[in-house]
Amino acid sequence: MPANALAVSPVADIATLPDPSAQKAAVAKLGIADQSLTPRHGCKGPGAAAWLESLGLPIPPQPNSWLPVDGGGLIARLGFTEFLVEGPATLIARLANTPRSAGVYPVLRQDVALLLGGAKLDELLRQTCNVNFRPLDLATRPVVLTSMVGVGVTVIPELRNGQPAVRIWGDGSYGHYLWETLLDIAVELGGGAVAPHSFN
Amino acid sequence: MPWRLLRFALNKKHPEPRMFTFHEKLKASYDVVIIGGGGHGLSAAYYLAREHGITNVCVLEKGYIGGGNTGRNTTIIRSNYLTPEGVQFYDESVRLWQDLSEDFDLNLFYANRGHFTLAHTDSALRTMRWRAEVNKHYGVASEVVGPEVVKEAAPMIDITCAGHSPILGALYHAPGSVARHDAVAWGYGRGADQRGVEIHQQTEVLGIDVEGGKVKGVRTSKGYISTGKVLCAVAGSTPRILKMVDVKSPIYIHPLQAMVSEPVKPWLDPILVSGSLHVYISQSARGELVMGASLDPYELHGTRSTLDFVEGLTSHMLEMFPFLSNVKVMRQWAGMADMTPDFAPVMGKTPVDGFYLDSGWGTWGFKATPVCGKTMAHTIATDTAHPLITGFSLDRFRNYALTGEKGAASVGH
Amino acid sequence: MKIMTCPLNGPRPVSEFHYWGEVRPMPNPATASDDAWADYVFNRNGAPGLKKEWWCHTPSNTWFIAERDTEKDVVLKTYFYEGDQ
Ligand SMILES: Cc1cc2nc3c(=O)[nH]c(=O)nc-3n(C[C@H](O)[C@H](O)[C@H](O)COP(=O)(O)OP(=O)(O)OC[C@H]3O[C@@H](n4cnc5c(N)ncnc54)[C@H](O)[C@@H]3O)c2cc1C
Repeated sequence: MPANALAVSPVADIATLPDPSAQKAAVAKLGIADQSLTPRHGCKGPGAAAWLESLGLPIPPQPNSWLPVDGGGLIARLGFTEFLVEGPATLIARLANTPRSAGVYPVLRQDVALLLGGAKLDELLRQTCNVNFRPLDLATRPVVLTSMVGVGVTVIPELRNGQPAVRIWGDGSYGHYLWETLLDIAVELGGGAVAPHSFN
Repeated sequence: MPWRLLRFALNKKHPEPRMFTFHEKLKASYDVVIIGGGGHGLSAAYYLAREHGITNVCVLEKGYIGGGNTGRNTTIIRSNYLTPEGVQFYDESVRLWQDLSEDFDLNLFYANRGHFTLAHTDSALRTMRWRAEVNKHYGVASEVVGPEVVKEAAPMIDITCAGHSPILGALYHAPGSVARHDAVAWGYGRGADQRGVEIHQQTEVLGIDVEGGKVKGVRTSKGYISTGKVLCAVAGSTPRILKMVDVKSPIYIHPLQAMVSEPVKPWLDPILVSGSLHVYISQSARGELVMGASLDPYELHGTRSTLDFVEGLTSHMLEMFPFLSNVKVMRQWAGMADMTPDFAPVMGKTPVDGFYLDSGWGTWGFKATPVCGKTMAHTIATDTAHPLITGFSLDRFRNYALTGEKGAASVGH
Repeated sequence: MKIMTCPLNGPRPVSEFHYWGEVRPMPNPATASDDAWADYVFNRNGAPGLKKEWWCHTPSNTWFIAERDTEKDVVLKTYFYEGDQ
């Protein structure tokens, strides 16, 4: 169990996986994977950008955009002064253990974090969310804060193996509802639950 | 014989009597001018004439009578409120309702159904216990019951609400009733008309003349009227009228929406309200399911209805009654609710002499129609607030003496 | 569906927003009379009109100002608050 990660995923008891061949078939259409156990760190405040920079992290210059982090992971800028960092346990542990400077406030991150992707992704998004992801330019690394089936979420759209994919973070207490609802739709579209590495 | 019936109907010798007299013109002056031909305005006119012998009165209605919130509400009548002021006041109203059909010689379809406010959390149950105790203290039938009583009264209910928010108990109020809303306006209108009150529809109040802090007259779309007494009973238009007399108030306007389903066989006798799911439902005598939710989320002076409302309401309704998924929605609509910070009305005298207010009725004023008319008529006739409404005066805000009814009025109208 | 434009997140359905009422200057609580304070706490400009209002885009917790016609429900513009003027 990595340090500074959740001890259990909010959907641990329901996110069961079918056998690998079924997962392979599902991921082509629409796979849904639980990534809640990835270590992450949240902070905000007027001093947040400078503090993260002093720790060697790249700072996305635009609000609602993200950057990759050397050694794996990402940093997303949520609005003007809030950040979400995800990555290797050592990086996250360093953030958690370094004293915060003035104007930096911790943000508790107990997200349900999902990865969805496949040829039918757009069909699912159109049923669940009001943002049209298709015109977004992925090269600008957009972060979208919106609501999905009524739950406030942070979404990063990307391409995985040439297929559209989204990473989704939401309040963990909505984990069951979000997982069940999205899985239902994925299954209707010929997809299903998969392990995160299925997308690689 | 249908043919003979038709001849009878077309025969000018037996015209169907009009509900009230049509008046071509306004008089130059009246003793009392009532703005708003909703239930409240008409009821005040009725009691002014019947109980105080004041009949040189006109009711001015910019549209048609009952076309405001009176004809848009979901007709729930109950008295299980939270504050002593509220409980006594609404209880008097429920009592008046019970004899109203006879009073008017008009069937109001007043139907006593019983009213359940469902509790899905411990804290909701605690508020209900509190309400029950206040109610009982004032002799209002009200008790906390367990989920099995709810299930027995409404066998189709999913007592777990799809597993999300199981029903832990309910506040049961046996006198809870429904009535035909337009009949109420027409009944009061006819009764007032028979006693000499003039009802002028299509007559809009455009301004009010105040001189030396006293009401002098009213400007209308049909001409000027001089009068020393004006009652403002315009629900969602209250802030516009208050602007005419330059009186400040905490009243703010949000739309409240409702909808009905296609008629189905009778299956639901009581009225059910769920504060946690923000929905309520009853079945009308015609079989339609009358459903509503809480207030629209932002200020708006209009009566548009939205898909968001239907989506939100139906999804919660299906948690309680999954079998309704096959039933079609027939109509939806909205009214403009005149809300107050403490969910109690604003009634009585105002800083302007001769300007009386019956407002702040938000989402809960239909049930109060009879008692409002009665107490406002008293207040106007004697120029002193009726004892039942002193807790609702406009100056309670300036005195920081609110009458907190939110716990009993925010969803259950 | 009603669309509100968040100055940061762009046009979104109004269900993603929270309404917080008209922008109103607060009297100094230390010096205001009881009447002036009660007026500020309770009274509202309830008549319809063009109003400057507080709104919040809830998924991102972004507060901003919308100028809205409260009779026609038309949003004229939205922008970030720039302090009391
Ligand atoms: C959807 C909905 C559901 C509700 N459900 C319930 C419920 O279940 N139980 C309950 O007790 N209450 C309920 N209410 C609240 C209730 O409907 C109102 O509080 C009550 O009907 C108000 O009656 P009224 O006569 O004061 O106002 P209205 O019936 O609105 O009458 C006011 C009249 O004034 C007229 N007017 C306005 N301005 C002018 C002007 N300048 N000149 C002339 N005339 C003017 C309007 O045209 C209108 O006809 C509900 C309200 C709504 C909208």
